[in-house]
Amino acid sequence: MEKVLEINGLCKNYPGFSLKNISFSIEKGSIMGFVGRNGAGKSTTLRSLLNFVHPDSGDIKIFGRNFKDSEDTIKQKTGYASSGTDYYPRKTLAQIIECTKLFYPTWDDSVCRSYLEKFNLDPGKKICQLSEGMKVKFHLVLALSHGAELLILDEPTSGLDPVSREELIIIFKKLAKKGVTILFSTHITSDLEKCADHITYIKKGEIIASKEINEFMADYAPAITTLEDIMVHLEVEETEDF
Amino acid sequence: MKTLLIKEFKFTANILSYIFIAAALMNFFPGYPILCGAFFVSMGIFYTFQSAREGNDILFSSLLPVRKGDVVRARYIYVVVIEMLAFVLSGIVTVIRMTALADAAPYINNALMNANLMSLGFSLLIYAAFNTFFVGGFWKDAYKIGKPFLISCIVTFIIIGIGETLHHLPGLAALNTPFEMLEIQLPFFAVSVIIYAVAALFSCSYSVKSFERIDLTL
Repeated sequence: MEKVLEINGLCKNYPGFSLKNISFSIEKGSIMGFVGRNGAGKSTTLRSLLNFVHPDSGDIKIFGRNFKDSEDTIKQKTGYASSGTDYYPRKTLAQIIECTKLFYPTWDDSVCRSYLEKFNLDPGKKICQLSEGMKVKFHLVLALSHGAELLILDEPTSGLDPVSREELIIIFKKLAKKGVTILFSTHITSDLEKCADHITYIKKGEIIASKEINEFMADYAPAITTLEDIMVHLEVEETEDF
Repeated sequence: MKTLLIKEFKFTANILSYIFIAAALMNFFPGYPILCGAFFVSMGIFYTFQSAREGNDILFSSLLPVRKGDVVRARYIYVVVIEMLAFVLSGIVTVIRMTALADAAPYINNALMNANLMSLGFSLLIYAAFNTFFVGGFWKDAYKIGKPFLISCIVTFIIIGIGETLHHLPGLAALNTPFEMLEIQLPFFAVSVIIYAVAALFSCSYSVKSFERIDLTL
């Protein structure tokens, strides 16, 4: 199976926190849930993929290419969305779409319109008039409209209502069937149980597991049967210390 | 790069940066420190940096399918184009003052700097200082604009001070005339052009490297 994303030995040191030897890979058309506690290093890892954060060492290949050598080509085929991140709050969605589409030869206006309707997004609204959940949806509209083959999503469902989350999960599954690869971090582990086929678990800056979800769950069965309980189990020492 | 430039000029640019190009017309003002026109032009550009920062433009641009370094290069091209539009406008005004209006009483009795090759040279030095200290300073962390702008303002007003003082020094009064002491005016203008070009290129190159090293906070 073709590997869309490969990370080997990624390290990043901050005062008081380090990413240590992060390594995992994702195959084309799969959905990987990236799980860990707050501050475990999920966002830092995801930001490293697009060079927003510069790793101290390690190798990142996306679509078989080194990011530094093929930054623009990789970004053409990649979409990024994150909750709590926004830009141009005083611009309308239509203005941002008009500007963004200039950069993507693969941009499809009809796909863009259909997702705007599906997510109930009014192109005349300003970014600052959207809720956090709606902003994530808008970022997804941008990513999906240029036919991204890899979606990197940082907590995309955390600000969404249950119905919207369900809609999104259905969309993720459909996209994965079409060959789109999705890597998303979330605290809402029930979402992962519905759609993820791989789980990568990060704890204190280290990957402690990266495998198929069935294998991951089997490691803790029959005593623990849900991702949420596994997460609590894995972090229990820290919780008890507290 | 072409699409990034369209974005810079149509999407990111603050309208004030275009309006302030008209400050180049201050070269018509007698009894006014005309080099302030170049300062106001750079202030218009400053507003673009300010509004772009408030709009989190660095994140928006970094998400686009472009090289990180091109984000910086496009912004520099935008800055240089605005400055050159203003420079050409002030050049036209200067030529009018040096020829058709050369004998106009307000300009003959002007105690401050007249529009000539010296003033054009000094305005280029002001733009060079702005590009070096403000634009170059901004890209060190792609966020802070206050300190780089303050430093740029201090250097700018030192340049204005020198420009306004020079022709009052003994033997240099002719530097404030249209066509006298051209043996000093012409080389000064030529050197200013070179300083402007070199400063823009070095500042851009340094800024690209600085921006590549930054960890972006989203």
